[in-house]
Amino acid sequence: MSQPIDTSYLDLDTKDETFLDSTEMVLNMGPQHPSTHGVLRVILKLDGEKVLGTECVIGYLHRGVEKIGENRTYTMFNPYVDRMDYVAAVSNGLGYCETVEKLLSAEAPPRAQYIRVILTELCRISSHQVWLGTHALDIGAITPLFYAFRDREEILKIFEKYCGARLTTHAFRIGGCIYETYDGFEQDVKKFCTFFLPKLDEYEELLTTNRIWVTRTKNVGVLNPEDCIALGVTGPVLRASGVKWDLRKAQPYECYKDFDFEIPTGVNGDTYDRYLVRIAEMRQSVRILQQAVEAIPTGPIMAKVPKVIKPPVGEVYHSIEAPKGELGYFIVSDGSTQPYRVRVRPPSFVNLQALDKMVRGLLVADVVAVIGTLDIVLGEVDR
Amino acid sequence: MLDAVKNYLNSSVTPGEAGSQLWATVYIVAITLGVSVAVICMNWLERKILAHMQIRLGPMRVGPHGLLQPIADALKLLIKEDIIPANADKVVFWSAPVVVTMTAFTTFLVVPFGRTHAVTDMNIGVLFMLGISSLGVLGIIMAGWSSNSHYPLMGSLRSSAQMVSYEIAMGLAIVCAVLMTSLQTGTGTLSMIGIVEAQSAQGTWFIFKFFPLGFVAFGVFAIAMIAETNRAPFDLPEAESELVAGFHTEYSGFRWSLFFLAEYSAMLAVSSIAVTLWLGGWLRPFANTLSGSAWDLAFSLIPALSFLAMGAGCFLGTIRMPKIIQMRVQTIGLGVFGALLALIGLTLLLPGVRERVQDIYWFVAKVACFMYLYIWYRGTFPRYRFDQLMKVGWKVLLPIGLAVLIATAVVGLRQELWAAIVGVLQ
Amino acid sequence: MSVTPLLRKVFLVDLLKGMSVTFHNQSEKERITEQYPLERPVIFENYRGQPRLNTNPDTGESLCIVCNLCALACPEQLITVKGERNPVTKRKEVVSWTYDLSRCMFCGLCAEACSTDALELTQDYELALYSRDGMVLDQAALERGPEPVRYER
Repeated sequence: MSQPIDTSYLDLDTKDETFLDSTEMVLNMGPQHPSTHGVLRVILKLDGEKVLGTECVIGYLHRGVEKIGENRTYTMFNPYVDRMDYVAAVSNGLGYCETVEKLLSAEAPPRAQYIRVILTELCRISSHQVWLGTHALDIGAITPLFYAFRDREEILKIFEKYCGARLTTHAFRIGGCIYETYDGFEQDVKKFCTFFLPKLDEYEELLTTNRIWVTRTKNVGVLNPEDCIALGVTGPVLRASGVKWDLRKAQPYECYKDFDFEIPTGVNGDTYDRYLVRIAEMRQSVRILQQAVEAIPTGPIMAKVPKVIKPPVGEVYHSIEAPKGELGYFIVSDGSTQPYRVRVRPPSFVNLQALDKMVRGLLVADVVAVIGTLDIVLGEVDR
Repeated sequence: MLDAVKNYLNSSVTPGEAGSQLWATVYIVAITLGVSVAVICMNWLERKILAHMQIRLGPMRVGPHGLLQPIADALKLLIKEDIIPANADKVVFWSAPVVVTMTAFTTFLVVPFGRTHAVTDMNIGVLFMLGISSLGVLGIIMAGWSSNSHYPLMGSLRSSAQMVSYEIAMGLAIVCAVLMTSLQTGTGTLSMIGIVEAQSAQGTWFIFKFFPLGFVAFGVFAIAMIAETNRAPFDLPEAESELVAGFHTEYSGFRWSLFFLAEYSAMLAVSSIAVTLWLGGWLRPFANTLSGSAWDLAFSLIPALSFLAMGAGCFLGTIRMPKIIQMRVQTIGLGVFGALLALIGLTLLLPGVRERVQDIYWFVAKVACFMYLYIWYRGTFPRYRFDQLMKVGWKVLLPIGLAVLIATAVVGLRQELWAAIVGVLQ
Repeated sequence: MSVTPLLRKVFLVDLLKGMSVTFHNQSEKERITEQYPLERPVIFENYRGQPRLNTNPDTGESLCIVCNLCALACPEQLITVKGERNPVTKRKEVVSWTYDLSRCMFCGLCAEACSTDALELTQDYELALYSRDGMVLDQAALERGPEPVRYER
């Protein structure tokens, strides 16, 4: 099993008896680091260049979001959930609104569902673009970052036109959507799809067959399917290991049943497969977008939900397929206007626990690549 | 005084060969200044070209289109606080950047910009350049050691290991080119000017000699020289996103700028070797296929045309500057710069100047292509991990270098070999 | 069939393909950089920026009827509205209206909750100040609305 690391000099609760061997050293990849995607602290135990064990220290971005949830009404808490996974804010909002709707036994009308799906798929593409740019940057390719952010810019413009904010969108409300689609929404989304697919081919040309990229990412950070399931890893990491599990198909929510798309899976579960899976997911998202935009039904965009939301006593867990994995919300209601407990199951938090298993035996330079391939956002990990 | 100038202009050998100390000194000063100016230009070019490849603009504010940015950077580095780590070995700490910079500049002693335009022509020119640039590795180790911190030490050891490994591949490629110099005359030469003259005598640049052997040798050298200068995709020792920081972590301000100067000078130096050995040095393109006085005239106009084109580009930029009052100074500045370039272009049209500038221009143009390639690689490729880097150097480039060396020898001496085989069989 | 991958490897085809991508992205029409502050971005009308209290364009009176719905809707409780009933018109009039911009997260719930068209979030995003003093906006500041400061050299 895992070797305990000598952390006696740290101010942690767990102190263990083993001492460091004379050839081993402890290296601290501190909270301030260009490649840890946020304020993540990783303590590495090294033997020369090889990694023997890791310990992640998180909590540098803890803002008490779940505690805030206990002191706000259901409607008021909606803007706060955007701030957890700030890269893909729309999907956070979707998960929360759906959970409360499940608690209320309400359902958003079909038009609202289509709008939600379109925005969520755009958000998935934008989150994967951030992943692509930063992951390539960690491995040393400095240009895809800028190309990725250019595409993300188009998506953020659509968000801004729709709901008024680029990043912390607060796009959905409990019961549906409050913003009606603006004139030209469908054209903008279609234009984006035609603009984006050739760009994706460009990124593939730049990276997928590039021998340097392949040698850096093949067989690095391998995670076999049994370990994935045992650790609770979800999202593209799970699918790259070969497990065909996507909540959009396994437990369909919103109107995903109406669309025809595939779930890309990988074979080896290494970094290269995770890269391929995410690129393929972006293509499938474009496919969903193209289908959805043709078929938006007319009708109301808000269900009959009371103005002051007072759900019946009970608890509910609902999860959606966020770009990073399974994002789950567990809400306990005690019958009042404020929830008793809001617990968020962030995908990055659970995926980060696989880091230790993935970097055993790798070199220090690969740790950075593996953290990048897990696609973590510290806002989600720490909440 | 005028006699000295006339003697110089009419001589057919380099100042070093002629034994003229005055002109050799003038050349040394000119080359030092020239390399420094080239490094400054490279700074601006790198930021702009890299930015354009990344669909951004690069520096735009300091001077029109960022043209004064390198000067601002240099000023900033000069006025920065000079921090020396505690318990650092002060003498070694001080002398490491000096060693690296001096070796980088000393290699330019033998670089020929033309038949007479080199400081001197040593008959071991290429060997001299290789040897002096190996001394630079010593400076890197000194830098890492004296920083008294184990990250720079590890970084410097890695960097020096990388440089030494790729020098072997570089050396094999160079021997391949030197082999080719002996083909027509029977005696090879290590002298840089001799190698270019051999290319001129054999009527083909060595890159095209015994195609594809010359090309493969050039390719091996081109890849090895990137690793030698610690540039992408072999820039792991310098990369910030990896854990081990580079050897120049503890250096700030002017000392760091010396390392920076040394890195770019080393890039220029190895590019000069590549240009001299394979791309015909100062020879104009198509010297044999498009020969004759008409073609000579046409090619001699190209330097002037290129400067006029650059001036026209500046004028175009001036016209397209935003027409607001805050940009007045920048617009005028860009216009003046464009006028300067156009003036240089017009000067280069004069017949006397035209002939003498030819060699220098073609040499510099070829080296500039290499610089563009350096920047292009940096923008495109991810970086190799250290063990993969060493694997490429030892397991890929070294065997290919050996193979192409043996192949060149066999092909070059094929008549002698055939005669020997026939003689043995008889 | 196995010759083609070998040839691709030897001739560095993958590297050349990548280089061609970066090469053609150098052209000027690919660039989308806006040189702020000379060129300002296009902000769409839905944008949730600095708030503004609207007034009746004919009479100049505030449209706010002191229903307090915005203060109740705000997750951060940073709006305070005080009003008193005007005995003549039998309607409430604003006495003081404050909005704390430093804690605002621009979620838009207040503007959504407003029963008249009084509270509106404008497109002003340039809200930086040199001190915290200007962050709590009173009614006068809110009715003036955003005053973007343009700096001349």
